[in-house]
Amino acid sequence: MKLRGRHVVLSLVLFVFGFLGSYSFQITKEHAQIVQMSEQEWEKDFFYRQQLIQMEEKNRKLQEKVDNYRKDINQLEQAFGDDEAKIKTLVNEKKKLQMITGELPIQGSGIKLSLKDSAYIPSEENVNQYIVHDRHVQLVINELYSAGAKAIAINGQRIYKDSFVNCVGPVISVDGNQYPAPFEIEAIGDPESLQTSLELTNGVVDILVNDNIEVKLETMERVQMDAKIS
Amino acid sequence: MWLPAIFLIIGISLGLLTDITISDQYSNYLSIAILAALDTLFGGIRAHLDRTFDQKIFVSGFLFNIGLAVLLTFIGVKLGIDLYLAAVFAFGVRLFQNIAIIRRRLILQKNTEKQDN
Repeated sequence: MKLRGRHVVLSLVLFVFGFLGSYSFQITKEHAQIVQMSEQEWEKDFFYRQQLIQMEEKNRKLQEKVDNYRKDINQLEQAFGDDEAKIKTLVNEKKKLQMITGELPIQGSGIKLSLKDSAYIPSEENVNQYIVHDRHVQLVINELYSAGAKAIAINGQRIYKDSFVNCVGPVISVDGNQYPAPFEIEAIGDPESLQTSLELTNGVVDILVNDNIEVKLETMERVQMDAKIS
Repeated sequence: MWLPAIFLIIGISLGLLTDITISDQYSNYLSIAILAALDTLFGGIRAHLDRTFDQKIFVSGFLFNIGLAVLLTFIGVKLGIDLYLAAVFAFGVRLFQNIAIIRRRLILQKNTEKQDN
């Protein structure tokens, strides 16, 4: 009984001791992998970590740069878009101006005025009193321009800023091209205002009629003129 | 003699199988407790060879040594001094002494047995 008691005590102590020992062993084994690092490994670890940090910093900076560039690109694209819109409006304006100066064909509503030599010329009178002269045509053209005509053509030939109209005997020369009567003057613009301005009392039509010229005025839905060939 | 061996094996396997992890600051306590247990064990073996073995002294020594070592470590941690080194030193010295005595006794025992023959 005494022997057995001794054994029980011994086994109890050994049990506790074994438990503690193996438990401690297990714990140190688990921790060893993490904790036990040689100086060199530490240095390496530190070095790589430092490198990683540097790389991340670098990455961050580069990313910032990329963002900035993206912003710049966006702004440039916006600017390009604006420029394009501007250019579009400018091109449209240029087209309009070119149409007016005659570098491009033009079409639109307008009026047609035909001037004809008088059909009846009394024999005792001077024939010059009864035919259309360059000044009549010039008068009409000036009146039309001041009434807001965009483009004018005489017998299908457009009048430009440097065009000239003059009399060469019975015909009228427009920029060197001779046309006989009747003269058909076409003008593009607001038909109503053009017509009204021509038909003013003591206006152009009255003057022409007084000069024994047969005047025929009609509004046109659509007048077309070609571009200057140069 | 097989009962202590079985209990030792059970203790070891239980220690290996337990999956509880304790934080690093308590591993000090564990190591000092192990040292105390080891010291008590060898002390018991020596007492057995001296034929002065006493169960009460053995068990109380076992528990008391472990408790004192842990208490010392605890105080050391609280005070910021490595007081557990004192326990380590004391137990280490006693451990070596006990082992030396045990060795001597065993050798002497063998020699006397030889002389008897």
